[in-house]
Amino acid sequence: MSQSPTTIASTVAAQAVATGSGKPGSHRRRRDRLVWWVVLIIGVTYFVLPLFATFQVSLGMTVPFKAYTNTFNDPKFWYSLLYSAVCAIGTILFSIALIVPTAYWARLKVPRARPAIEFITLLPFVVPPVVLVFGLIQVYGGGPPLGLPITSTDLGSTFLLIAAYVVLSLPYMYRSVDNGLRAVDIQSLTEAAQSLGAGWPTIIFRVILPNVRLSVLSGAFLTFAIVMGEYTIANFLARPAFGPYLSFLGRTKTFEPAAVTLISFGLTWLAMAMIALIGRKSRGRVTVVAVK
Amino acid sequence: MTSVATTATTQDAPRARPGSRRSWAWLGLVPFLLFALLFLAAPVLLLVAGSIHDNAGSLTLQNYQDLARPDIVLAFRTTIEISLVTAVVGTLFGFLMAYAVILAGLPGWLRAPLVTFAGVASNFAGVPLALAFIFTLGQLGLVTLWLKNTFGLHLYQEGFSLFTQTGLELVYLYFQLPLMILIIAPAIDGLKKEWREAAENLGATSRQYWRHVALPILMPSLMGTAILLFGNAFGAQATAYQLTGGTIPIVAVKIGAQISGDVLHNVGLGYAMAMGMVVIMSVAIGGYLLLQRKAERWMR
Amino acid sequence: MGHTQRASLVLLSAAAVFAGAVPAVAQSPAASTAPAMSMDALVAAAKTEGALNVIALPRDWCNYAAAIDGFKAKYGLTVNEINPNAGSGDEVQAIIANKDSGGPAAPDVVDVGLSFGPDMVAQGLLQPYKVSTWDQIPDSVKDADGNWYGDYYGVLAFETNTAVVANPPKDWSDLLKPEYKGQVALAGDPNVANQAIQTIIASALANGGTLDDVSAGLTFWKQIVDAGNFVPVIATSPTVAHGDTPITIRWDYNALANKDQAAADSGLVIDVAVPASGPFGGVYIQGISAYAPHPNAAKLWEEYLYSDEGQNAWLSGYCYPARFDAMKAAGTLDATSLAKLPDATGAIFPTLDQLNAAKALIADPAKGWNAVVGAPPAAASTAP
Repeated sequence: MSQSPTTIASTVAAQAVATGSGKPGSHRRRRDRLVWWVVLIIGVTYFVLPLFATFQVSLGMTVPFKAYTNTFNDPKFWYSLLYSAVCAIGTILFSIALIVPTAYWARLKVPRARPAIEFITLLPFVVPPVVLVFGLIQVYGGGPPLGLPITSTDLGSTFLLIAAYVVLSLPYMYRSVDNGLRAVDIQSLTEAAQSLGAGWPTIIFRVILPNVRLSVLSGAFLTFAIVMGEYTIANFLARPAFGPYLSFLGRTKTFEPAAVTLISFGLTWLAMAMIALIGRKSRGRVTVVAVK
Repeated sequence: MTSVATTATTQDAPRARPGSRRSWAWLGLVPFLLFALLFLAAPVLLLVAGSIHDNAGSLTLQNYQDLARPDIVLAFRTTIEISLVTAVVGTLFGFLMAYAVILAGLPGWLRAPLVTFAGVASNFAGVPLALAFIFTLGQLGLVTLWLKNTFGLHLYQEGFSLFTQTGLELVYLYFQLPLMILIIAPAIDGLKKEWREAAENLGATSRQYWRHVALPILMPSLMGTAILLFGNAFGAQATAYQLTGGTIPIVAVKIGAQISGDVLHNVGLGYAMAMGMVVIMSVAIGGYLLLQRKAERWMR
Repeated sequence: MGHTQRASLVLLSAAAVFAGAVPAVAQSPAASTAPAMSMDALVAAAKTEGALNVIALPRDWCNYAAAIDGFKAKYGLTVNEINPNAGSGDEVQAIIANKDSGGPAAPDVVDVGLSFGPDMVAQGLLQPYKVSTWDQIPDSVKDADGNWYGDYYGVLAFETNTAVVANPPKDWSDLLKPEYKGQVALAGDPNVANQAIQTIIASALANGGTLDDVSAGLTFWKQIVDAGNFVPVIATSPTVAHGDTPITIRWDYNALANKDQAAADSGLVIDVAVPASGPFGGVYIQGISAYAPHPNAAKLWEEYLYSDEGQNAWLSGYCYPARFDAMKAAGTLDATSLAKLPDATGAIFPTLDQLNAAKALIADPAKGWNAVVGAPPAAASTAP
């Protein structure tokens, strides 16, 4: 008697609904758990070792923590870190403003467009960053056919950088937001809000966005990390971002790059932990309530 | 979810006029499409146009013919190999790690640090990653020296080298594994605990549970993410370049050399190679989208 | 300053302001015979432009830090240091990519390998300018029309981390010694990097090749790979200091700068030795971009570099500046820097044609580096 996997799964699911939870053998569980601990420890070791080795190298100067003091005393370090962080936040905000309404609108009103939109959001995977930046410079560098020298000023170049970063983060942002929207009954929410007289901006900002906050945060995570670590685009647009700074440091100095790597790793992790914390605190759904 | 009875509203335009309503609704997608046109279509079109021109500016298909050059074929083959290996290993072990902290009964506080760490590590690449691994497994690396001093095991004499294809794959896993963890976590969340308990109630062993319940449900997500990992490795460039100095032929490195290097570079060839990448990635992404559709069923 | 002088200065400044203020859109290469400005006028015009974009100038390369900081202190201009990691080819690309925008990514001046000069002229990427000390630059390293001009040279040297390698190599043949397993690296990718290419040419000379046929160099490096001595990591100052590429070949000024830095950082001793079989030299050249967003600042920068102050800045970075002979005769070379300068007498310099032929051979997919040397053997057994 061979059943297809899906029917077995369906049976189990139905059974789960019908009988509720049971009490499995704890002995087997304990053994299983040990295996999983081993898996976790191997994985964590793999991740931690290179960081520890980097730490060890960073202490190799005659004056042990000089690599760190040199870094903290280097104005370029702070400037590039700040610049990239600001670009990251700009990218995240721009992304949210672009993608949340689009994903929402597509789901709600134009579902037939969704495959096309998904395809577009996966295009950035297909285009190597070096081609992306050369393309952008060619189109917006003042030459034909547009004659728009956006790259002729610092502000313009930074704007182009953020636009490129939004492109890079499209796959992750859209996927996260789309997953989040899937779990929410946007049809009902929208109708309810409309019946209370809410306009589109209110619906998007005060009804939809809060409901997908976790997904947005998850997409923001990845975007932040992408922007902080990015090198190629910032380099060719001659932007004073963190990626080029670290890359140059890594070619010239022996001990400082190790320190900078760890500091930036730590700071990025901290930023993400804070984002996660903010996200966790505000769990729960937004409901549409009529108050008389 | 809503505490207001949702009455069928007649406030919106009725469904009686599909033509005009549909075209009006498409307008809502204009910002996104405009953005894509301005900042994504431009470089992609440049790609296509550039690949059929030579350095002098005249139209040619020579660049595509050059794709059959043995060194370029080797680059594609090597890159595909590296991407496949890191995708498969990354999928497997990333899944195991994600499952370990989500559903395996380990302490719940483990999840947040691992996931946030994965977020950072998934973009830890290029110069810092290459350096970190050189510091760990290079000839004077932490682990190399430890093995020598503790066990008398001379890694490099035994034939291991970080600066080979295998070494590169080991390094790539550092951002492949976290990406897998990040993307598969929601799918594992969707694997309801009740199903496992119900399966055990029905007398299923662990293996049967996996084989007939968990894996079938997860398989589309797993395969889809594996394809994503493949694409991620395929496009990676900076790490390989820093670690192996161009001695291991990687497509992305070769493209960079043609587009922005010096020695007799051929920009059109670079673009043609990039088109090759586009084709391969499109196939991969097409597969990913297909499997996504199947995975969606179980997420509801 | 009299009325007329001040008036003409104002007029000149106004013209400079106007020239600088017009956006550099669709700017065509500058006319070839612009009348030379007086130094004061040039300074004023440059100050109006306010900034200078330089590219590919690592601060520890020929002590460019001293030149850049000295220039900034003297004239008060901002210096935007674009992409210090860039190679010569990247500099050319940067000019081409940014020629219509005149923005912060567009270089005003370039410092590239000798062989790039004629190529750039052919592509119309340079504008001519003859500095006031033009006549003191040797003819062999400058373009007659003033499009490019040699700035400094150095010779290739072995750079060895003595904490890892007890017995540093003294000549090319030493590189094949079994004691150096997994320790010899190139300072760049031979397909794109000038330093690596020159290393191959130099090694060809030491192995029976000639400047016209450097295939002996490729065979030599193949031997190094086969002996298990090659490590494929691109050598940089930190990889030498950390010991991952304990032996490499770089321009002596880079090796010596690293030697100083390593000693200061951690007391590490780096040995720098010119190959015993003879020095091999390489020249770099300066040029002003035809699409420079700040042409007057660029010209002022060139004047500064070729002044005694600029030349001594390079000298302090262990480089032989272009006006070396003239300044030595005049006694204007900085004595301390001169004392530390490595000996380069009898250095062999390839001609432009020889350089181009060598580059072509090395990049050839059928006969060049990738074909002859390729990837190192996977199981290269190496001693720790």
